[in-house]
Amino acid sequence: MSGDFLPFTPVAGYRKRLLIEWKFCVRRLPPIYARPLARLIEELQKLPGVGPKTAQRLALHLLKRPDSEVQALAQALVDAKSQIGYCSICFHLSAEPVCDICRSPSRDAQTICVVADSRDVIALEKTREYKGKYHVLGGLISPMDGIGPEQLSIGQLVHRVNKDKIQEVIIAISPTIEGDTTTLYVGQLLKPFTRVTRIAFGLPMGGDLEYADEVTLARALEGRRELD
Amino acid sequence: MYLKTLELRHFRNYTAQGVEFTAPKTILLGDNAQGKSNLLESVELLATLKSHRTSRDRDLVQEDETSGSISATVQRDLATLDLSLILRSGGRRTAIRSGEKLRRQMDFLGALNAVQFSSLDLDLVRGGPGERRTWLDTLLMQLEPVYAHILGQYHQALKQRNALLRQNEAQTAPTDRAQLALWDAQLAALGTRVMRRRSRGLARLAPIAQDWHHAISGHTETLTLHYAPNVPLEDDDPTIIQAAFLDKIQQRAIAELHQHTSLVGPHRDDIEFTINDTPARQYGSQGQQRTLVLALKLAELNLIESVIGEPPLLLLDDVLAELDLNRQNQLLDAIQDRFQTLITTTHLGSFDAQWLDASQILTVKAGQLLSGFTHA
Repeated sequence: MSGDFLPFTPVAGYRKRLLIEWKFCVRRLPPIYARPLARLIEELQKLPGVGPKTAQRLALHLLKRPDSEVQALAQALVDAKSQIGYCSICFHLSAEPVCDICRSPSRDAQTICVVADSRDVIALEKTREYKGKYHVLGGLISPMDGIGPEQLSIGQLVHRVNKDKIQEVIIAISPTIEGDTTTLYVGQLLKPFTRVTRIAFGLPMGGDLEYADEVTLARALEGRRELD
Repeated sequence: MYLKTLELRHFRNYTAQGVEFTAPKTILLGDNAQGKSNLLESVELLATLKSHRTSRDRDLVQEDETSGSISATVQRDLATLDLSLILRSGGRRTAIRSGEKLRRQMDFLGALNAVQFSSLDLDLVRGGPGERRTWLDTLLMQLEPVYAHILGQYHQALKQRNALLRQNEAQTAPTDRAQLALWDAQLAALGTRVMRRRSRGLARLAPIAQDWHHAISGHTETLTLHYAPNVPLEDDDPTIIQAAFLDKIQQRAIAELHQHTSLVGPHRDDIEFTINDTPARQYGSQGQQRTLVLALKLAELNLIESVIGEPPLLLLDDVLAELDLNRQNQLLDAIQDRFQTLITTTHLGSFDAQWLDASQILTVKAGQLLSGFTHA
């Protein structure tokens, strides 16, 4: 082809691309950060919620701290990663094969609260109101993300309910489409064996009725209950 | 309601432009591709959070800019509202209502109501069912903002179910039957809500549209709007509809497995227009179809007014010239001074002189607005 002999093929937009590349070179030529610092910033940026500016602030802060403190942080990171795994019963994060909650004798062993994520366990624990045990599914059913029931710890939950003669399963999963579907699925599986409930949805405490949106209000109406 | 001011920043071909609307009717005059429709589009976005021209915010932001904004002050019966919508070429929108950033954009709907009538609407009768669904959905969102949420949920469930059907492509094992049944249930529950609201909305619109149509056609024709849902809707009882929904899914199960997409549900609904008992789609003349669309739009105006309690805005995008004098007069008579109207046109020739005197005329040229006009 005749095009092969040309030094370059003038495709549409090549001038813009050259310009971008040129800009890129100019920006990269003088190194702003020393290499190890650049690497640290790069790594910090991978963390959720950390952008380039925060990463730079954190990195510069770390450099100012005494060696021992930085050493301790590094050690803590490595230790946490190597020592924390999943509880073999409830799949909550745990340093032991069985987590503190599952081992605790003071907890009601006949109630299980089903949540999507370990973060939800922490949120519920902060209330100090729930005295039963947990089961962490590890996500929600979402075919778009390739997550089916097999990818979640649902089988283990059913097994647990059967084996431990559980009296009540409380489902505490967010009211999204995926959350509702997961709730439906878990509910259907467990209904034959035990009592299955779902946490109520409605108004936040201290919230004004007039500021609540229609969907929340409609849901709150659905979940109304007898005045006692 | 009255749109008092509008300010565009890096929106389409506008860099920075403010407008003050001083008369109930504003005529935006200019050649093609100067930015007339862009201005109407910005009002449409404030009213519905959607544009009938694009679904990507990237297209709405001025070229080479990362974000653009639309701000407006709307005079309502009881209060003046400040609205602003920040659009980003690579990110989520921010909706601000009277200085408060809204966590959910659904809360933005209902602050401004508008009926859009563009030359594209003339295809409503002859076009595909998708256009008629979009038309009805847009109307319903303005009447009941919750509908936007319900429809969004339905589409999310539909997307998930389609993803599951596509997965089955590889492994046709019946292991996923249980999972599919789960999404069937979700689809049926949410679809039922969509269908009932569509049916209810259309039932309210139909008699008004019929009256208008009767009047415009010179009392010779009778228009009927008929909701043609994909799933039979004989009873208004949600449990019966859901059962029918699941039944139909059962019937089409094999086809769905082969086509890897959901074939049952309100995403396949249609709305049928008939004039004197003959389908307008096949038999309606060009003129009849125009009368029909005009009647629909006037009915929309009336319905929104009766539900909201305030007259909505009317956006006429290049459509007046497409109507003959008789229909133009019908439309202008119906609007009078009650509905604030923004009109785009390339020339003033077809306007009534009395009308022009009462209107604010702005000339649009390359993304800039100039007050008044010069006689060519």
